[in-house]
Amino acid sequence: MLKVLLPILFPSWRFFSGIGVSPRFDIAFVAVEGDEPVEWIPFRPLPETLSLWQHFKRLLHNPQWNESLFLNSCAERLFEGGGDFYQQEIAARLLHAVQLGEVSVPNAAGYMCFRIRALYSEDAPANCMGQVRDEVVFQSSCYALTLREGIV
Amino acid sequence: MTLELAVRLTEILLGLAFFQQSLEFLRAAGVEQKLGLLRALLSFLLMLGVFPLVICSLLVVTSFVLIQRFQGPYNGGSDTMSMLVLLGVWLSYLAPSRMWQEIALGYVVLQLIWSYFQAGVVKLVNPEWRSGKALYEVFALTAYPVSESVRGLAKKRQLLLSGSWCVIVAELLFPLAFFNQTTLIMALICAGCFHLANAILFGLNRFVLAWLSAYPLVLWFQQRLFELL
Repeated sequence: MLKVLLPILFPSWRFFSGIGVSPRFDIAFVAVEGDEPVEWIPFRPLPETLSLWQHFKRLLHNPQWNESLFLNSCAERLFEGGGDFYQQEIAARLLHAVQLGEVSVPNAAGYMCFRIRALYSEDAPANCMGQVRDEVVFQSSCYALTLREGIV
Repeated sequence: MTLELAVRLTEILLGLAFFQQSLEFLRAAGVEQKLGLLRALLSFLLMLGVFPLVICSLLVVTSFVLIQRFQGPYNGGSDTMSMLVLLGVWLSYLAPSRMWQEIALGYVVLQLIWSYFQAGVVKLVNPEWRSGKALYEVFALTAYPVSESVRGLAKKRQLLLSGSWCVIVAELLFPLAFFNQTTLIMALICAGCFHLANAILFGLNRFVLAWLSAYPLVLWFQQRLFELL
């Protein structure tokens, strides 16, 4: 209880104190568990632009975006060696998004897996941009699409 | 502004903040959805001001359930701030005397001032913020920009350098605005616009109402402090 209460009562407001590794999610579908995914699909890619109306709507209600921010937090915890909770949380939310029709599922697909890429810039002097790296740092096992309700 | 009016305005804004947060959970599944529904109702009652102690208590309990569920705040700083404001208001109802009420609410105000100042300090001591590189990376690399066209702002290096310094200076100077009512109101308007810009550019829409909900308390606290001095 104290572990939960203390960060609320004495919070840290070190917003953007440093720009660390930025996670990106890709998902893939396979017919049989254990198959190697062929095509990775970026999860919730950015739109090219947003209209004024879309900006306004997102200002009031933007559950997908805030869920994506939560997924990023889970991924960052995973990078830091966080426990199984974060992996299961990511899987459950990706499966739920698939279930809600955010991603089209191939007919033969029986399983979904996901991977997390880490985008970061290599060390460089403070006024120079480092080389941008994009590396896969985590690949999940397969999650049965039919069992997604159970996982959620 | 009286303490009672400040608390009432804070409850309305906080109710809106929780209502916005709760609606997002309705698309989820299981316990999350049920809690979202319950908290949407509680938020509405908080805005109306009915049985505030009971409603605040239930919101505190459900907030802790959510924090346990997500192993921390779901939406980082915005959930932390809205929870902190809620705790302040809740404790002010439980307080045995006026003095303890003022201490509970005053603590929320100090945290709000500290939130801007600390955010400014950590940027100032970071050479990457001072050179504009950090803000460039926020736009170019992080998952925050809401569209590719917003991400494209990473190319405007001069704009980002100016933007970095504007943010650093504004955050550092925020506490000074507290010493005069006009400058405080102007600072709060600027800070509100800053949160709005973050919501538009980076999709951080929950932060707007979370921080705004404490502003009436800030205005009350300043007046109260002037009375005491």
